[in-house]
Amino acid sequence: MLRPWRVSGAFRFYSYRPLIRSAQFFDSSRALQTSVPTDRVPLRKQLKQDAKGLKAQKKLRKEAEEASRQKWELTVGVEIHAQLDTETKLFSRQSIPIADEGGFGSPPGTGAATSTSDIPNSNVSLFDLAFPGSQPEFQAATLLPALRAAIALKCQIQPVSRFDRKHYFYQDQPAGYQITQYYEPFARHGYVDLFDYDGIAPEDGDRVRVDIKQVQLEQDTAKSQEYPPSTQLLDFNRVSHPLIEIITMPQIHTPATAAACVRKLQAILQSCGAVTTGMELGGLRADVNVSIRRRGETAELCQYNGVSGLGQRTEIKNLSSFKAVEDAIIAEKNRQIAVLESGGVVEGETRGWTIGSTETRKLRGKEGAVDYRYMPDPDIPPLRIGEDLISQLSGDLPASPDSLVALLVGPEYGLPIDDAKPLIELDDGARLEYYQDVVDILREIQVDSNAQIHATLARMAGNWVLHELGGLLTKTDRAWDADIVPAQSLAHLVDQLQQKRITGSTAKLVLASVFDGDRRPIPQLLEEDGLLLRPLSREEYVALAEAAIALNPQMVEQIRQKNQRGKLGWFVGQMMRTGEKGRVEAPKAEEILRELILEK
Amino acid sequence: MSLLREAERCIANHIPSLNAFITPLRAGQWLDRVREADRRKEQGKPTSAVDGRLIAIKDNICTRDVPTTCGSGTLDHFTSPFNATVVEQLEAAGAVIAGKTNLDEFGMGSHSVHSHFGPVKNSRCHRSGQDLSAGGSSGGSAVAVAADQCYVALGTDTGGSVRLPAAYTGTVGFKPSYGLISRWGVVAYANSLDTVGILGRNTASVRDIFAILNQHDARDPTSLSPSSRSRITSHIQAPPLASRLSSSPIRIGVPIEYNISELSPSVRHAWLLTLSHLREQGHTIHTVSLPATKHALSAYYVLAPAEASSNLAKYDGVRYGTRTEGPDSDRRPDGYLYANTRGNGFGPEVQRRILLGTYSLSADAMDNYFIQAQRVRRLVQQDFNAVFAAQHLLATAQAQDAKGRQELADVDVLICPTAPSPPPLLSKLGSSPLDAYVNDVFTVPASLAGLPAISVPVTVTGTTQDADADAAEVVGIQVLGQYGDDMLVMQVGELLEGKKLDASCLHQAH
Repeated sequence: MLRPWRVSGAFRFYSYRPLIRSAQFFDSSRALQTSVPTDRVPLRKQLKQDAKGLKAQKKLRKEAEEASRQKWELTVGVEIHAQLDTETKLFSRQSIPIADEGGFGSPPGTGAATSTSDIPNSNVSLFDLAFPGSQPEFQAATLLPALRAAIALKCQIQPVSRFDRKHYFYQDQPAGYQITQYYEPFARHGYVDLFDYDGIAPEDGDRVRVDIKQVQLEQDTAKSQEYPPSTQLLDFNRVSHPLIEIITMPQIHTPATAAACVRKLQAILQSCGAVTTGMELGGLRADVNVSIRRRGETAELCQYNGVSGLGQRTEIKNLSSFKAVEDAIIAEKNRQIAVLESGGVVEGETRGWTIGSTETRKLRGKEGAVDYRYMPDPDIPPLRIGEDLISQLSGDLPASPDSLVALLVGPEYGLPIDDAKPLIELDDGARLEYYQDVVDILREIQVDSNAQIHATLARMAGNWVLHELGGLLTKTDRAWDADIVPAQSLAHLVDQLQQKRITGSTAKLVLASVFDGDRRPIPQLLEEDGLLLRPLSREEYVALAEAAIALNPQMVEQIRQKNQRGKLGWFVGQMMRTGEKGRVEAPKAEEILRELILEK
Repeated sequence: MSLLREAERCIANHIPSLNAFITPLRAGQWLDRVREADRRKEQGKPTSAVDGRLIAIKDNICTRDVPTTCGSGTLDHFTSPFNATVVEQLEAAGAVIAGKTNLDEFGMGSHSVHSHFGPVKNSRCHRSGQDLSAGGSSGGSAVAVAADQCYVALGTDTGGSVRLPAAYTGTVGFKPSYGLISRWGVVAYANSLDTVGILGRNTASVRDIFAILNQHDARDPTSLSPSSRSRITSHIQAPPLASRLSSSPIRIGVPIEYNISELSPSVRHAWLLTLSHLREQGHTIHTVSLPATKHALSAYYVLAPAEASSNLAKYDGVRYGTRTEGPDSDRRPDGYLYANTRGNGFGPEVQRRILLGTYSLSADAMDNYFIQAQRVRRLVQQDFNAVFAAQHLLATAQAQDAKGRQELADVDVLICPTAPSPPPLLSKLGSSPLDAYVNDVFTVPASLAGLPAISVPVTVTGTTQDADADAAEVVGIQVLGQYGDDMLVMQVGELLEGKKLDASCLHQAH
């Protein structure tokens, strides 16, 4: 999932310009086509037809999905494994190097200069390697991020929990077992609320609550690299890195909502500081269990986590993106429907998913199921968590994403939900912090303004932080850094714009030069570069408008007769181009154009 | 005698045919260290009671300087990168590690015959001249002590592995309360039962070693915390418990369930003589009932293999240990990377217990075996708590309630045989593993409950009804105490240690 708002937002006020450019592009390509056989469909037409076809296909698929949804009910449960943000491993004092946080590569900013973390097997203790005679030493500090996560997920923290051994043989598992919490996890009975703005399926309405069965602490495994036919390389640096596993109840009934659930869980884990990286860096992995049943039928026999009457489920392991979660569930649901509709039986089995594929594939069946022989670990004492620790952590917990959304769309900031969401999710909250800084400074500058203006400032600041500044970041492919454009500078820029001392396009130019390193204070910069708005008189606007109209009479006719008002914008552009730089204000120009073209 | 003479004598006593050592003392720095200790002794400033003395270490306790094989083919060339806490404690006290002793592979066995390095032989012979079992699994340590090849030896006791060889070799074998001696560096067989034990020729030397090792160790998560230690000490040292043996006689419990039909007549005889001897000393004898005892052995042989199957999963030859030559996955497409390594590295008894444990933990068997056995273990603990006058300070409130049921039983220690029979002939060891398991019937309950227990040799002279027995027979008698009552257990053991009990005493008593 890339972040589309960066891309679209960057062109929000320029939308007509790229269109003009693309029109020119198509003109020239059509000219080229004169040399090819005439029975060829023109490219533009071809593209239009293709798009139409695609749309029709999509519609058909959607209808088919809807038809099968009417007939079959899907049920999904989610299991998330997340690497906790800790300084040590779970059962040894071995420290965790920063670059080891990600499962499949280094997070940005750690660079190539990172020391030991890149050297395989440089960060292991005797216990991590399961040396004979070594024993676990539970690192109590690893509990803190786990507890923050469980509290943020509204779980009941268990006063006593225990560690169990889950046995299976694999070379990435040095002890032959993983230490986890199977019988008595440290947190139970939580829930996560998913709202329409979280991207749940429309048929799920505006809110879905997914119950969380339990959250447990456990060890990560080693990294195993296969070099067929006969070489395996093992790196034990990751062994015993603390993980939490979050298990939801099978209460999700649409693929989109399942993906939204995983996304929301990640957002919650990040916002409470439980994890350092998300799915994109391998710090989070999801398994889903999927079953279907005919609507209205209750004769089925299966029961999972206390939810009965479900169809036979399968499990899809190791999904590493939100899209993979959604796509894999759709594919698996369709596979199960096809099996049942052709008179077959769904087998309880473990399946895999490759990104970009259209089908899940069988990894192992019931006959290959592993009996994990869970056994209480006889070396590790029970974990006792005091009420005082829980209340201390609950009090210190940062605001949840949901309460942040409520704050941003509420009267204080008045942001549209489409701006509030990305502000919260981007850059692990750093963007939101920056935004709040900008708003605070603005309100200080305009301390005497009324509440209405304060609300306007907050909305404008949201737009500039997210779309204008975000657009520049995208264009230059730079990572977020609050120092690129100091909050102070952006606040003054928005202030000048709001007070109509500069035009929007001037503001954009100034932002770009601050972005490129101009560190002069905004008022000084505007002064020195002569960018402050000297408003044009009405006569000057009329003159500019009439000049543009005179050059393009046929467009004026189109606007008047076909009421193609969108083309007014094109004239605004013409006026801004021909007028003195930074002096033409778009709204005023449009007002004059309306008058001259429509009201005459 | 100088420490050097003593050490040299130990080395001179080394008889390879007993096979007590896997790695004997190597020529090296030890001579200098003993000489230094002699100098300190002359100056009257010895580091400790064991300064300059040779201490043999069971080969499942990690040592950095010499290999730690656990008696297994899978670790036959393995040297640990670190010293066990107990090894560091002993070396810090000036002791010299006298080599690594032979054992049943990973501690699994009762006769020290299941070793990759061959069986251990008892230094005592049957009067027919045939070799006797040294007991197991710490048979090498017991024989090293019995044959004067070291001053004392460390063993490990999971279900009787120190006490049984002590009984068979005529030495003193002490298993302390669970959690008193650090297990860091002790290769796990069954963690919840494993304890480091001490073997010596007398209780005094065992007590000296225990004083050095009885320390909290943060590296062992099951090591008893300093606060629990002081809580227990103040309980034991407060009246009325404080006066036991010093100014008042003790109350001795005799569990009726231990008088089993399989008990060999000579052992039963020695038990009775021991009790009458103590009664003559003014102590009182009380029969008590430990009803869960009859299930204890079965519970042990479910729980210990279950933990063993888990603990031994790490021996795959990938990171350390001996790896089988050639392709190692049975040539099956889904074969494990190390199937053959595990198949070839472990001996038959270890394989048997891994399979037993794997079965009893499997989803379909778990409730009937592992969980049931844990329940029995809890009952065994409650039985003991119900008969001892001293409280088990770590026991749950529920266990304390059981006390109300047997108000009359307020005993200080329990006394029973260590093993149901004298040491069997090595040549007559049964082919059925169950025969060997039965030898643990009296030692396993204390292990399940984590209680301190000592086996001391008593000598029975005069006529006996047992046709098979020697004219003067040495029998191991076991003293058990409440959790944390280790000192009292050793003191009572000392009362009996080496006692020559005349059969005629018994007749007088009746």
